[in-house]
Amino acid sequence: MAHFNRHPITPWILLAPQLLIVAVFFFWPAYQAIEQAFYVEDAFGLSREFTGLSNFVSVLSEPEYLTTLWTTTYFSFAVAFGAMALALGLAVLADRVLRGAHAYKTLLIWPYAVAPAVAGVLWLFLFDPTLGILPELLSAIGIDWNHKLNGDQAMLLVVLASIWKQMSYNFVFFLAGLQAIPKSLLEAAAMDRAGPWRRFWTITFPLLSPTSFFLLVMNVVYAFFETFGTIDATTQGGPAGSTRTLVYKVYEDGFVGQDLGSSAAQSVLLMVIVGVLTLIQFKYVEKKVQY
Amino acid sequence: MRYNRPGLDIASHALLIVGCALFFLPVWIAFSASTHEMGDLYSNVAPVWIGEAGLDNYRQLLADPVSSLGADVMTLLFNSMLMALGIAIGKIIISVLAAYAIVFFEFRFRKLCFWLIFITLMLPVEVRILPTFKVVADLNMLDSYAGLILPLIASATATFLLRQFYLTIPAELVEAARIDGAGPWRFLKDILLPLSKTNIAALFVIMFIYGWNQYLWPLLITTDADYLTIVVSLKRMLTTGDGLVPWQDVTATTLLAMGPPVLVILFMQRYFIKGLVDSEK
Amino acid sequence: MATLALKQLKKQYPNGYKALHGIDLAFGEGELIVIVGPSGCGKSTLLRTLAGLEDISEGDLEINGKRVNELEPAERDIAMVFQNYALYPHMSVFDNMAYGLKNRRTPKDEIQQRVSEAAELLGLTELLDRRPKQLSGGQRQRVAMGRAIVRKPQVFLFDEPLSNLDAKLRVQMRLEIRRLQKRLKVTSVYVTHDQTEAMTLADRLVVMNGGHVEQFGTPMALYDQPASQFVAGFIGSPAMNFLSATQAQTGLALPCGATIALQGEGLATGAELTLGIRPEHLQVLGAADALPAGAAELEARIELVEPLGADTLAYCRLQGQSEPLVVRLDGEHAVAEEQTLRLAILPARAHLFGADGKRLATREQATAAIE
Repeated sequence: MAHFNRHPITPWILLAPQLLIVAVFFFWPAYQAIEQAFYVEDAFGLSREFTGLSNFVSVLSEPEYLTTLWTTTYFSFAVAFGAMALALGLAVLADRVLRGAHAYKTLLIWPYAVAPAVAGVLWLFLFDPTLGILPELLSAIGIDWNHKLNGDQAMLLVVLASIWKQMSYNFVFFLAGLQAIPKSLLEAAAMDRAGPWRRFWTITFPLLSPTSFFLLVMNVVYAFFETFGTIDATTQGGPAGSTRTLVYKVYEDGFVGQDLGSSAAQSVLLMVIVGVLTLIQFKYVEKKVQY
Repeated sequence: MRYNRPGLDIASHALLIVGCALFFLPVWIAFSASTHEMGDLYSNVAPVWIGEAGLDNYRQLLADPVSSLGADVMTLLFNSMLMALGIAIGKIIISVLAAYAIVFFEFRFRKLCFWLIFITLMLPVEVRILPTFKVVADLNMLDSYAGLILPLIASATATFLLRQFYLTIPAELVEAARIDGAGPWRFLKDILLPLSKTNIAALFVIMFIYGWNQYLWPLLITTDADYLTIVVSLKRMLTTGDGLVPWQDVTATTLLAMGPPVLVILFMQRYFIKGLVDSEK
Repeated sequence: MATLALKQLKKQYPNGYKALHGIDLAFGEGELIVIVGPSGCGKSTLLRTLAGLEDISEGDLEINGKRVNELEPAERDIAMVFQNYALYPHMSVFDNMAYGLKNRRTPKDEIQQRVSEAAELLGLTELLDRRPKQLSGGQRQRVAMGRAIVRKPQVFLFDEPLSNLDAKLRVQMRLEIRRLQKRLKVTSVYVTHDQTEAMTLADRLVVMNGGHVEQFGTPMALYDQPASQFVAGFIGSPAMNFLSATQAQTGLALPCGATIALQGEGLATGAELTLGIRPEHLQVLGAADALPAGAAELEARIELVEPLGADTLAYCRLQGQSEPLVVRLDGEHAVAEEQTLRLAILPARAHLFGADGKRLATREQATAAIE
C-alpha cells in the first residue's frame, strides 16, 4: 500500500477522535467490568474486597444462571433457524421469478429498519389477551392464550417478534447469495435431468452454505444481544424468568438488583461468549477466501 | 429452460405475495387500532379496518404532552432524530479520519492502533453496559445528548468498513496525487471523499437505523422526559399498572417510531443493501 | 530539461529486504533512458525512488546537480505516467490534467491554455469533458501522458505505461511516446520488462537484475557487446542460444564434438565456459559448402518450425544439449521438421561468458592451428 510517509503528526491528528472515544467509552468501562468481576462490594459501595474468582463461581453455581443460559441458547437457535428458513424460502422464490423480484425485495426488507422494541410492541398487540386478534383465532381452536401467565407462550411471542424483524436481514444475504450462483451450473443440472427440487438440494443449497454459516453466527449474536428491546418491551423476562436471556439478567442483576460483582462477572462471561462467536466468524471468513 | 414452468411461477408469486402480506399484517393491525377511540377499541377485539377517529390520535400525540411520558411525541421524535443523526454522522466523521490514518499513513504503532480500534468490534455495548453507565455518570453526561450519542460511537464497525473500501483504492492514485502536489489533507478532500460517496451513504443508512433503534442505552441514561427517545417511550406507555393500556396511543406511537428508519431504508434501498452486504466482508 | 545522477543509491525496506544495491548512473539532458529487467529486478523501485515515492536508504540522487533525496515528489519537478494510468475516476479529463496545476496555484487562464495545448498535441480536445470510465485504454493512456505534459516538468518518469494495452496499440503508442519525447526534449526515464519496447525506445538502456545494474549503454552496444550472460539472454528476440564449452588446447570444445577456433582470455585448459550465439548469427551451410575458417560445424535436427513471414524460426535438437537451438532463417528458406541443418558458428559472432556469467575477452586462434 502506498503511504504518506513523511507526515509523522498527521495520522495522530486523524486518529485522535476515534482513539479518545474508544478509550473513554470502551476500554475504560471494559477494564472496569473485568476488574469489578474480581471484587465484592458492600451494599453501600463504600468498601470492596478482592475475592478472586468467587464471583464467577457463584454465578456459575447459581441454578438461575444455568437456566438463563439454557433459555438464551434455546431462544437464539429458535430465532436463528426460524428467521433463516423463512428467509431462504422467500429468497428462493424471489430469485425464481423474473418479474417483480425487485418489488418483492422492497416489500420484504423494510422490517430490518424496525427497532427490536417496536417489533416487540407490534406483536404484543397482536397477542394481547383482551384485544389481540391472534388469541381470538386461537381460542376458536381451543387454545387459551395468555403469555403473561404461560411461559411457553411468552417465549413463542418473543421468538416470533424477533424472527419477524430478523428475517429481512437474512433475506438480503440469501438473495445476494442465490444471485451469485452461476446460472450455467443450474442449466447444466437441468440438462442432467435434475428437477427444480433436486437442483435446489444438490446445487443451490450446498453453494449457499458459506452464506448460511455466516448468517447463523450473525443471527445468534442478534438473538443474544439485540433482542433486549423486544424482551423488555413485551415480557420483561417473565413470566417467572421464562424469557430471561443472559443480557437481560446482566441488566436485572446490575441495575435492578444492584449486585455489581455478579453483574460484572456475567458481563465478562458474555465477553467470552462473544469472543468465541467472533473467532468462529473469523475462521469462516478465512475459509471463504479459500473458497 | 428453468423458467418455462408457468404453474411454478404462479405458485411462486402467490407465495411471495402471501409472505409480503403476512409481514405487513402486524403493521396494518396496529394502524387500524391507532385510528380508533380507546372506548371503541375496547368494545371488541382489535379492528382490522380504519376507524372513525382517523388521524386524530396522531395529531393529539404530536401536539400535547402524553401524561405517562411527560412529553409530547414530537419531542420524542426530535430526540430520536438527534440521537440517530448524531450517532450516524459522528461515527462517519471519526471513522473516515481514523480509517484514513490507518490505511494511508506510515507511522509508529500503526498496528497497535489498528488493534485497539478493531477489538471494539468484539464487544457490543450491551456487554459493558454497567461500567459504561458509571463512566458516563462520572462525566456528568446522564440526561444529555452527548451521553446518548458518544458511547454508541465507540465501536469500529464504520471504521472497519471504510478501511476495507480504502484498501481497494489503487496505490497509484495516492502516488499520482502526491506527484500532483496534493498533501494528505488535500488528497482526503479532493480524491478520497468524493470516491467514498456511495460508501458513506451506505454507512449512513446502516448507522442511522442503528442509532434510531437503540433501546437499552437510552433507557438507562435518560430519566428526564426532555431526553426521552420514541423507541424507549413505548414501554413507559405500556406500563399502566392496573389500568387499561391506551392501545390507540401505543400503536400510533409505534408507527411513528418505525416511520423514519423505514422511510430511510425504502428511499435509500440501494445504499442500504450495499451497506449491509459490505459489512459482511 | 535536466541531468540526473544516481550515486551509490541503495534501498532497503523496513523488513530488511534490499531492493537496490548501490546504483551509479548518470543521464544527460533530453535523453530517453529505458530501464529494463525481469520482474523483481528493482527497476520499478528505482523509478519510484527517482519520483520520491520511496525513500532512499543510502546514496544520493541529483537532479541538475542538486541533491533531491529529501524532497517531496511534488517538489522535484517530475511527472509520472503509471501502468494503470491512475486517473482520478471522479474527475473529467480536463480536471485530471489540471489538478496538478491547480495545486500549484497556476493562474486559471494559464491552466486553460496549457491543458488545451496538451489536449491538442495528444488529440484529446474532443474528450475533455469525459470521465476516465468513458474512455478507451489508449485514450486513458493519452490522458495520463497529458497530465504529465501540462506540468512541463524537468523529468518524465514512465512506469510500464503500455503494458495494459493490446499488442497493436502498444506498438502505436510506443511510436507516439518516442515522437513526443523527441519533440519536447524532456529527460525521460522509462521502465519496462519488454525488451523490444526497450530497444526501440531507448537512447540508452539500463539492464537491471537482482537490484544491480548489469549494463548501461546504447541498445546496439548492449546487443553487440553484452556485458554478461544475463544481458545477452535478455536483449534480442528470440534469445541468444547458449552452449556449454570447454577450453581446449587449440580452441573451444563443444559437447556435440565440434570445436571452434576461439578461446577465453586467461582461462586454463579444461575450464568450463558458456558460448553464446544469436539465432540470427548461425550460418546455414549447404551440403557442398566449405566450412568457413575457424568456425564450428553443428549438425542440428529441426524439431519445430515457426514461420513468421519475413523470417522463419527453427527449433533444433543438438547433441549433448538439453535446450533447443534456435535458428533464424530467411523467410524464403524452405525447411521442414525432421530435416537436419548444417550450421556454422563463426568465431567473430560468438560471445563467451565465464562461470560467473561475466563476458570473457576472446582470443581468436590462428586458423592454421586447427587445420
